[in-house]
Amino acid sequence: MKRFREPLFVLLLVFFLQSCAGWAKTKDYHPFDASGLDKLIPGKSTAAQVTEILGAPSEIVKLSNGNAYIYRRSLSKGTGLWLLIVSFGNYDEHYDQIVIFLDKKNIMTHFAVTLDAHKATYGLPF
Amino acid sequence: MVSPFKVFPFLIYSFLVGSLITGCVSYRVIKAVEGRSVPDIFEEFRVGTTTLQEALEALGAPDQVAELEGKDVLIYRRSLLANSGISFGIPLTDIWGSSFDFSAYGELVRYDLVLLSFTPDGILSDIASEKGSRYPYLKTLLSDKKGN
Repeated sequence: MKRFREPLFVLLLVFFLQSCAGWAKTKDYHPFDASGLDKLIPGKSTAAQVTEILGAPSEIVKLSNGNAYIYRRSLSKGTGLWLLIVSFGNYDEHYDQIVIFLDKKNIMTHFAVTLDAHKATYGLPF
Repeated sequence: MVSPFKVFPFLIYSFLVGSLITGCVSYRVIKAVEGRSVPDIFEEFRVGTTTLQEALEALGAPDQVAELEGKDVLIYRRSLLANSGISFGIPLTDIWGSSFDFSAYGELVRYDLVLLSFTPDGILSDIASEKGSRYPYLKTLLSDKKGN
């Protein structure tokens, strides 16, 4: 067993001397606060109240019976690992999204929330 | 002076071989995931009875909203990109004039999609879904079937 110790050590040394790893994080940030949704009441709150609480939407979509205000931000995390002749890359992107549905009179009818950006993780591709 | 090749032969040769094969042989695996997985609860939705409110409560905010022929469409989507490649080459251009090189790469993007269509009154009128992630990477990539 001892005779393999030195070769194994050398092999590991070569392996790690020529290896490197990297991490990256990207935020597409919009400072809306989802806790402000508690102040909004479907059937009563207006588009003006929505923008006062959540700010300007990232996107506005025209619907059959009004509009939808979409608030979106993302968090992505990337991991790279290079080991001599093998390289691994992993990229994970998740979103925080709020969609506000407004009728033709600009009254909020529905809303939906998904706060998922914090689930973006570093890791390997398996 | 004693040659280092005699004192640490394995160390020196290993280092040389390790240094030389770098760049000649390489294998890479890349994975990229965008978005969250869509809960299977949408399978319990019923056309004509499920409301927009119920769908939003069950699935959360959609990734895309659009109007299509007088109906409101909600789209939930997750994409999975898988990329792998292997490359083998002997760079002899400087001493021989030509070199040997072999490489193979593959990339596959699969989508998990749920599309819900609602009437202006907020009643579900259509459901469409696709679970691309159930298709295995290599088998799908190498398949010759049209559309696959």
